[in-house]
Amino acid sequence: MIYFRGCLSREKLKEIPQATEKLLEIANINYKILENEGCCGSVLLRTGFVEDALEVMQETYQDVKGEKVLVSCAGCYMTFKEDYPELLGKKVDVIHTSHLFWELLKKGKIEASQITEPVTYHDPCHLGRHMGEYETPRQVISSYAKILEMDSNRENSRCCGAGGGVRSAFPDLSCEIARLRLDDAVNTGAKRLVTCCPFCIHNLKTAQNSFRIREDFQDDDMDILDLSQFLLLGLNKEVEP
Amino acid sequence: MNESSLKIMNKSFNILDKRRAALLQDERTINLKERVKKIRTNAVDHLFCLVEKAQENLQNNGIEVVLAKDANEACEAIYQLVKDEDIIAKSKSNTAGEIQLTEYLESKDVKVLETDLGDRIVQFDESHPTHPIGPACHLNMEKIAEIVSRKLQKDVQAEPRAILDSVKKDIMEKISHIKVGITGANAVAAEDGSLLMVHNEGNISLLTMMDTHIILVGIDKIVPTLEDAVSVVKLETIYATGKTVPAYMNVVSSPSKTADIEQILLKDMYGAKRVILILLDNGRTKAHEENKECLWCIGCGACIVNCPVYTTLGPEFGYLRHLGGRGIVLSKYIDNDEVCFDSGLYKCTLCGQCTNECPVEIPTNKMFEELRGKSVKKGLYTQEHLKIKNTIKKSRSPFGKENK
Repeated sequence: MIYFRGCLSREKLKEIPQATEKLLEIANINYKILENEGCCGSVLLRTGFVEDALEVMQETYQDVKGEKVLVSCAGCYMTFKEDYPELLGKKVDVIHTSHLFWELLKKGKIEASQITEPVTYHDPCHLGRHMGEYETPRQVISSYAKILEMDSNRENSRCCGAGGGVRSAFPDLSCEIARLRLDDAVNTGAKRLVTCCPFCIHNLKTAQNSFRIREDFQDDDMDILDLSQFLLLGLNKEVEP
Repeated sequence: MNESSLKIMNKSFNILDKRRAALLQDERTINLKERVKKIRTNAVDHLFCLVEKAQENLQNNGIEVVLAKDANEACEAIYQLVKDEDIIAKSKSNTAGEIQLTEYLESKDVKVLETDLGDRIVQFDESHPTHPIGPACHLNMEKIAEIVSRKLQKDVQAEPRAILDSVKKDIMEKISHIKVGITGANAVAAEDGSLLMVHNEGNISLLTMMDTHIILVGIDKIVPTLEDAVSVVKLETIYATGKTVPAYMNVVSSPSKTADIEQILLKDMYGAKRVILILLDNGRTKAHEENKECLWCIGCGACIVNCPVYTTLGPEFGYLRHLGGRGIVLSKYIDNDEVCFDSGLYKCTLCGQCTNECPVEIPTNKMFEELRGKSVKKGLYTQEHLKIKNTIKKSRSPFGKENK
């Protein structure tokens, strides 16, 4: 199995692949990481650079073909699962980390101990509304912690604001939308937000830092985590420095 | 839009959302939604055949039909009908907003009296409508009282009844001298040759009784039968307002007539002497060729109420009175690629919430992706995305790692 970390986790949010690899080790799963991991093509597809996307996708397909592919990013997941067959005519055997984690928990290969503080869960658009994966991440979390749902959840979940290239072209707009989503999270009373997409995490954290000074916003202590990081907490393990 | 207007708009949207919530889960609504989805997709599939049929049957019923290929033709046709008037009365119409009819007529010295309360307030305020059914969603009572007081030059209290009474009195005084009423229509029944109009205030009833009643409607509003039309507007009402039916549904199939004297047909009893339909294309045929799903729209505005971008930017995310993402898609066909780009082609996060909210499930995010592909081919993209594209091509990563 290839663990395809995805650009944002690989280069910026390194705590996500660190936590994920630690979990893979604990569960004794054989995996490899590509030496020169490429781009899934999502960013190019969503911003209209279709021909460039196809080139990049062809290249990446050569790296992953015939293998099972594990991804941390909801964007990678949708692109491999939907766009590769549709645009390249090539199927990729892809699973999202949430799928793997749930399998491991179900089979008893890992065991998480109860975490008493409740968390809230944010549905990434690419995983939830676009791919219909609402329950698997929730099953992982619910097996050892209580979820406090936001008013808008599952198919009605409010977007974090990062998608469709908006974060790069219109950062203020993107940040403002993230603030609204953080507001939803704060309203649940949870102090921890778990999600399954590095882009969501990145954007929500940016908003958290930008708006920390605002009087009408008290989310300073909202801990924003990837599912892998939260699972590792449940296993009472930490990533060694 | 400024922050306080946005706040008021979103507060209105939240109230609307809560009011609709239970009704949207009702089995009858779900059944109606399924029925209307079939009606709309089917009608759009057979659009041109329905346009022909509608034209024929409306004319047989005594309604004059003018086909307008673009905004200018529609405005000019209407101007020719009203050029001898000082002032005409109008109801709320997103299609009139699309062709900027009011601006056109007023530039030629024909004044336009908006008869919908919300529209009249927005007209006084010279701001942009923020919801297709509730145009003054972004103004609170104090602000409205201030606007109305200034315009009517009297002290109007910040109290809903006082505002209503003042605006109504002013409109009713003016309307008694007006001979032409312009309305939109929510649906057109091709086989029956009928026009269906929905309203809550009763203003459209007044306009249909004027000497001349002009109806402006996009060709996409045509459905086969009057029964279909009623289904469409019922669903629109549910999604737009959270009520199952509007106060009024007017069906107009002919000018006013009677045959009470020896079955001799006499025209001109109480209602309009002339009923004239302006059937507007304005890019819809082009939209039909490339993205016909955007023509399924029933005009309820559900797509913007929970749109993360619209609730953050307001009506600048959209095109004229076609608010939100679907309006931006339409702008490419009504106007052109540049206008589409400027209306917010790259401001959508592609989250798909609008499709989830839409009663006919218009796949707006899919259309956006496709339009962006076409836009890039024409050289219209953002500089930031170009930079990222080049970085990815060079280093297989948007962040530019050095591994190639």
